[in-house]
Amino acid sequence: MMKKIRKWSRILHRDIGFFFIGTSIIYALSGIALNHMNDWNPNYSVQVKEFNTGIDLSKSAGTEENILHLLEEINYKGEYKKHYYPDNSTIKVFLDGGSSIMVNLNNGFGRAEYLKKRPLFYSVNYLHYNPNNWWMWFSDIYAVALIFLAISSFFMVRGKKGIAGIGGIYTLLGIIFPVLFLLLN
Amino acid sequence: MIKKCELNLSTVINFKPMKKIIALFFAAALLAGCSSESSNKNEEAKKSQTSIPQIELAAFNEEAGNYVDQKISVTGIVDHVCRHGGKRLLLVADGADIHVENDQRFDEDLMGNEIEIIGIVREERIDESHCLKMEEDIIESHNAGDIDEDHFENKQKQIEFYRDSMEKANVEYLAFYSLDYVDHKEKK
Repeated sequence: MMKKIRKWSRILHRDIGFFFIGTSIIYALSGIALNHMNDWNPNYSVQVKEFNTGIDLSKSAGTEENILHLLEEINYKGEYKKHYYPDNSTIKVFLDGGSSIMVNLNNGFGRAEYLKKRPLFYSVNYLHYNPNNWWMWFSDIYAVALIFLAISSFFMVRGKKGIAGIGGIYTLLGIIFPVLFLLLN
Repeated sequence: MIKKCELNLSTVINFKPMKKIIALFFAAALLAGCSSESSNKNEEAKKSQTSIPQIELAAFNEEAGNYVDQKISVTGIVDHVCRHGGKRLLLVADGADIHVENDQRFDEDLMGNEIEIIGIVREERIDESHCLKMEEDIIESHNAGDIDEDHFENKQKQIEFYRDSMEKANVEYLAFYSLDYVDHKEKK
């Protein structure tokens, strides 16, 4: 009986492990990226450009046209979306892809923030946040598979390197670490 | 006699063109049912949308108190979606802004778009007991080393601001309003 369990644990651990390699990398990469959210923007790289302009951007019928002139002046190739005035002396212009420009209407000083999606991280972070029901179910299956991978590892190797030997010590250490963290925190 | 009828009926159903006609009939009935159901739903949605009061974003803070826990509609530009969690966005218009909260993540591509949001007005009241609780919490966090000096000072200034505002306005509490997201549509 034990022989059979060991055999099937190995087979399933191996095949399920192979199947979820991609998903594991997605969650590992996005996990690191999102853990350090306070230190960096995990989804976008931000390029800041400061400039001065003489173009009149105060509220008028020609504001939109003037904004397009400004975009030409600062060499912005993307699209203008909308604008508004947060206060009497500032205009904020929204551009495509989340980029934006703020201009001080009194002195013409401007600051552009160009956002660019981080190619790999944007995608893995998007998946990490369960974008829809399909992915939610898939990630649930992945979570169950992780539990299976953990439990099946008990039966894969026997003897000194198995759960009764060094494997057991590693397992215990792996459990003690989070428990200690909880107790000391 | 009954047996004869059953036989006849089965013969009729086994007749191929008749099978197709019956299938077509059921499909048509189903479609008609669906379309009338969907048109009913559309009408209901339209009705409920037209009955939802529309508030100017610039007047939100003044008017929101009249609509606490009720649905309203407000139009503005999405300034940004909160980086932490993505379930909060800032809706702006000239000289005004409001926070919109959602159970689900907002699509970050909404940033810079003008949208009409339907949401439920929520009120948060800040009074002296709230200030005392905030004070206790930040002192505890500061003593435990969970927050740095800057954070601590900022929080203290915030509490001071609340107290000053209540005193100046001669009120027992300050009301802050936000919207719980229900639905939205993009404006062209």
